[in-house]
Amino acid sequence: MPAMIEAHGLVKTFGDFRAVDGIDFRVEAGEFFGMLGPNGAGKTSTIRMISCVVPITAGALQVDGLDVRYEDRAIKARLGVVPQDDNLDQDLSVRKNLEVYARYYDVPKRLARERIDEGLELMQLQDRADERISALSGGMKRRLVVARALVNEPRLLILDEPTTGLDPQARHLVWRKLRLLRERGVTILLTTHYMDEAEHLCDRLIVMDHGRALDDGRPRTLIERYVGRDVLELHLNDEERARVRAYLDPRLGESARVEQIEDVTYVYGLGQEHAREVEELVGDHYRVIDRRANLEDVFLTLTGRALVE
Amino acid sequence: MATTTSTPTTEAPPEPPSGRRRGGVLPWLGVAVPGRRTYRVWQRNRDVFFQLWRAELMPPLVEPVIMFVALGLGLGTYVELTGDTEYIQYLGPGVLAMFPMFASVFESLFGAYFRMDQHGTYAAILSTPARPEEIIAGDAAWAATRGAINAALILVVMVALTPVYGLIESPLALLTIPAAFVLGAVLGSLGLAYTSQARSISQLTYFFSLFVLPMFWFSGGFFPLESLPGWATAVAWFTPLLHAVELNRGLVTGDIGWAHLGHLAWLVAVFFPAFWLALWTMRRRLVE
Repeated sequence: MPAMIEAHGLVKTFGDFRAVDGIDFRVEAGEFFGMLGPNGAGKTSTIRMISCVVPITAGALQVDGLDVRYEDRAIKARLGVVPQDDNLDQDLSVRKNLEVYARYYDVPKRLARERIDEGLELMQLQDRADERISALSGGMKRRLVVARALVNEPRLLILDEPTTGLDPQARHLVWRKLRLLRERGVTILLTTHYMDEAEHLCDRLIVMDHGRALDDGRPRTLIERYVGRDVLELHLNDEERARVRAYLDPRLGESARVEQIEDVTYVYGLGQEHAREVEELVGDHYRVIDRRANLEDVFLTLTGRALVE
Repeated sequence: MATTTSTPTTEAPPEPPSGRRRGGVLPWLGVAVPGRRTYRVWQRNRDVFFQLWRAELMPPLVEPVIMFVALGLGLGTYVELTGDTEYIQYLGPGVLAMFPMFASVFESLFGAYFRMDQHGTYAAILSTPARPEEIIAGDAAWAATRGAINAALILVVMVALTPVYGLIESPLALLTIPAAFVLGAVLGSLGLAYTSQARSISQLTYFFSLFVLPMFWFSGGFFPLESLPGWATAVAWFTPLLHAVELNRGLVTGDIGWAHLGHLAWLVAVFFPAFWLALWTMRRRLVE
């Protein structure tokens, strides 16, 4: 089966700046694929190349078997794009926004009306159809942008940080809708810097930093590869830390390792019984957090914990 | 530790069959020829306009009346023209070009800047099958349409005033509406080209102060340019508004000749390079 997206040595430069510095990846049809990376990692540039908005500098990029350099119109007709910023038409009503958008895809009027009703219902906006954009909450605007991206029944839906700035309820509602779309067979490409979002939604993901791909795989696979099953997070004072390190250091090795970031000690890959002993050494279990490893640990391990500016 | 999956390939991607162009861009033009989605972009602008029509309709009805009263009836009583023409009659053809000019220029400066930079309208359209060239062409067409709508409304006002002041002397005056469209297409294209270079809204006012306002005063709409030194008349000949005013003067009076066709030809001839400039400059702004 042909891939939905296939990138080989993909490069995007702006002047001297290499926003995307030679990445390879493949997204299968029907997959929910995530792109993870800090700000400036090259996620948005990659998305803009896939959606034929900016030309590629070098390498090869195919979307649904078509070359982005020469088949821009045909590719764009098969895509739905949800950008980072809501760029709805402020002066038009909810329904009119979708009607205007459907026209760009040459969707016949009657069919457009059907799809718009469907999309509004799917995104739970049917009661808002005649309202102006300014009357919508942030979560509703996001859902409307998703509904707008669906008017052409895209084969590939691209979402650039779709839940940034939303409250938890609104986020979960958007997630639910995205899972529903995946079940319907839409391939989804999502960028995010929310690790829980990526872990929750994505079948597979790629971790990017400085325009390069660091690794890719299933969320759980990546977690086990880089972090192991569990993490012990310790908030200790100097005296306790010395005591804990004296206990831990001889036990580190292949699987277990320690990372000290500012005032927090992270212990990866330590067995359960050792974890309990560390807890006893500290005495105060509120400052010893024994938790499951998550993507955030992978991400920070791969990209470093220092603040990227 | 990080196993990198990015192995930049050095081999060049396969070349496509000949005859296909990247994004439809023609090598000798540097832009693609805008297609039918130009109309979709125009429709979008029209729909927004009619959403706000109450606010948009007032100025073209009121502004020319103010000018007719202030200059035609006020200042005009001190102006003596050759023949039996009243000054308010002399003003008419100019008003039918000047205010449409403002409408087209505003649309291509502030309207386009907001769509390009503030509201993300261009970005939203770019992810549909529409190409950058179609967004630009649609906006230029809309700027021209705004000029034509404006001319039509002013014409209504002038027809209403004709029994008293004799402003319209020929049914050919109806053709000032398409004339305003042509003028708007030229100025809208130049405005879009300028907007594509603007980094802030305040920069847009330069186009106004340095280009539009001088054109406004020295278009022959307020006084015959023969009274100016020769070099000033020569400079004025290179500005679009002058030709629209001269064309309108023929259409409103019905006294039309080859010279008027020349003014129309001037506008049409200037449109093509102006439109190309808009496509080329704005494309670069949108695509990079």
